[in-house]
Amino acid sequence: MSERLIVIGGGAAGTAAATTARRVAPQLHVSVFSEFPDIAYSPCGIPYAHGREIPEFKALFLSTVQRYVEEGLDMRMETTVTDIDLDRRTITARNKHEGFDRLILCTGFLWEQPDVPGSNLEGLHYVKDIRRAIEFDRELERMKRAVVIGGMWLGVEMSGALARRGLEVQFIDEGPWLLSELVDPDVAAPAQEALERLGVAVRMGTRLEAFEGSGGRVRAVATSAGELECDVAVICLHKLPNTTLPRAAGLELGSTGAVVVDDHMRTSAEGVWAAGDVVEVPHGLTMLPISGLTGSHAYAQGRVAGANAAGEERTYDPVWIPWGFMAGDYTIGGFSIGETLAEALGIPYVLAKGVGVSRARYYPGAVRTHVKLLAEPDTLRLIGAQLHGGEGIKERCDFLAFAAARGVTLDDLAWMENIYSPPIGALYEPIQIAAQNGLAELRDKGSGGAAGGVASGAAASPAGAGAPASGAAG
Amino acid sequence: MSERPAFLRALARALAGPKRALRSRSEYALRLAAMRRLARRYPQRATRSALPEPGRMWSWVFVPLYRSVPWQARRRAMRALRMTARGWPEAPRRFREPWRPAGSGAQAPQRTEADRAPDEG
Repeated sequence: MSERLIVIGGGAAGTAAATTARRVAPQLHVSVFSEFPDIAYSPCGIPYAHGREIPEFKALFLSTVQRYVEEGLDMRMETTVTDIDLDRRTITARNKHEGFDRLILCTGFLWEQPDVPGSNLEGLHYVKDIRRAIEFDRELERMKRAVVIGGMWLGVEMSGALARRGLEVQFIDEGPWLLSELVDPDVAAPAQEALERLGVAVRMGTRLEAFEGSGGRVRAVATSAGELECDVAVICLHKLPNTTLPRAAGLELGSTGAVVVDDHMRTSAEGVWAAGDVVEVPHGLTMLPISGLTGSHAYAQGRVAGANAAGEERTYDPVWIPWGFMAGDYTIGGFSIGETLAEALGIPYVLAKGVGVSRARYYPGAVRTHVKLLAEPDTLRLIGAQLHGGEGIKERCDFLAFAAARGVTLDDLAWMENIYSPPIGALYEPIQIAAQNGLAELRDKGSGGAAGGVASGAAASPAGAGAPASGAAG
Repeated sequence: MSERPAFLRALARALAGPKRALRSRSEYALRLAAMRRLARRYPQRATRSALPEPGRMWSWVFVPLYRSVPWQARRRAMRALRMTARGWPEAPRRFREPWRPAGSGAQAPQRTEADRAPDEG
C-alpha cells in the first residue's frame, strides 16, 4: 500500500506542495484538505477585479478542483481539519480520523483585527476569500463611500480600486507617511500623490478609534481626525500566521509567532513540513526570521516542501524579498531594506540615488525611474533598494534582489551592461546611474568604499555629482 | 529539522510567547525611532505620526542602548542569543552549483519533476 501525504491548506503553498509531491513521487497518495470550495485562484488579483481593471472575477481562477483530481490528487474541499495527532499520525476532519505518513501544513494567515469598539459590526470587509469578494463586488454597486484602514499594501491597492470604481474613498493610517513600516518617505510620497489623483483622501497620522453602527451595520468610522461616514470599512492590517493547528499539535513556533522550519521546510516534528504564510524564514541580510511574505514566496516554499516530503533533498534560501505594487497608476517597489528599516535595525549603509528614464527620452511614453540603492559602507555590497516610477520597476526589483543575494556591489552595478533600445530602454540604465552617483559621492567625500568610514545613515546624497547625473540621455 | 529532547521542546513552547512579545515590542520601538529620524531627513514627506508611544523604558533606555552597540557586535549577539534562524546556513551570497547530467560523477543536484515550471500564475 502506498504511503499517504496529507496537505492541509489549498492556497499557493498547499497546491504547490501537493502537485510537486505527486509529480516527484507518483506512487504517493496525496490528499489536500481545504476549508474553502475553490482552489488555484489568485487572491492578489481581487482588488483589480473590484476596480474593473480585470473585467470578471472568473479570470482569477487558474484551474479547477476537477483538474487536480485528474492529476491524481485526493481533493477534500470544504473540509476543515480540526485536530492533528502527531503521535498517532492522524488528522481529524468532519469528526473522522484519517491517517498520514507525512504531513505538510499550509494553513496560511488570518487578518489582524482592530481592537476598537464596533469591530463586530456588519460592513467591515476583509479581503481574502474569492467567493466573499464576489459577493462584496455586488454589494459595491449600492455603495457610495468607503473607508480603508491600514497601512499595508493591500490597503493602497484597495483604495485605488474602489476609487476607480467610483466610490468616495478615505484612506486612514496611523503612520507618518504611506506604508511607513516598509517604504521610505521619499518613495511613499509619489505613491500617495498617485492615490490622491484618483480622488482618494489620504489621511496619514490618523488613528482609528471606533466603528459607529446603525442597525448592526457600520455607518461611520470614528478617528482622531473626526468621524468619517461610510457604507463599508475595508480593513487591511497585518497578516498573522494561522497557527491554531500547529500550535495545538505542539510544533515549535518562532519569534514572529509563525512555525519554525529549517531550510528544507521541515518543522520541529519528524515527517512534518510547513510552507507559506504559516512559517517564518530568515532574511538573507540579517538571518532574522520573518513571516507574512508574498504569494510567490508561498508557492516556492510549497514546491520545496512538496519535493522533500516526496523524498527529495531540496533547500530553500534565505529571502531578499523583492516587492512591488501599484498605487493608482504609479509603481513602487524594492527589496530587502530601505532607509527606515536600516535605521531601525541600526544597519550601517551608504546611499546611491539616481533618476533615469524608462525608455529613450524622445520615445513616446518615456517616464522617470527613481532608484535608491543601499550598500554596506565597507564592501559596497548591495543590501537593499527602493524604486518608483511608471514602468519597469518590478523587473528591476527582481534583478536587484537576485544580484544582492549573490553579492553584487555598487561598482558592479555602475559598470553593468544594459539594453539600449528606444522603445524599451534608455542609453543609461537608471540602476547604473544611481550606482555611479553613489560612487562619485563617496569619491568626493574621500571615502572610497573599501576605505569605509561611512556611518549608519550618513548617506551619499542623490545630488548627482559625477557621472551621469541625470539619466536624460538616450 | 532535528527533533529536540522533550524538555527542550516544552521550554521552547513556554518561551515562545514572551520571546514573541519581546521581539514585537523592541522592533516597534526601534521602528518608531527610525521613523522620527527619517521624518527629520525628509520633512516635506512626513506628517505627525499617530502611532502609540512604546513607553519610556523602550524609547529612552532600550533604543539608545541598542543603537550604541556596533552592528557587527549586535549581529554576533543576536546569533549567540539564538535570535537568528536555526537550521539555515548563513546566506552564501554566491551562485548555486550548476546543473550536471546524471552519471557525470558530479555532486550537483539532478533535475527532477520538482524543477518543472508551474502553470501560468
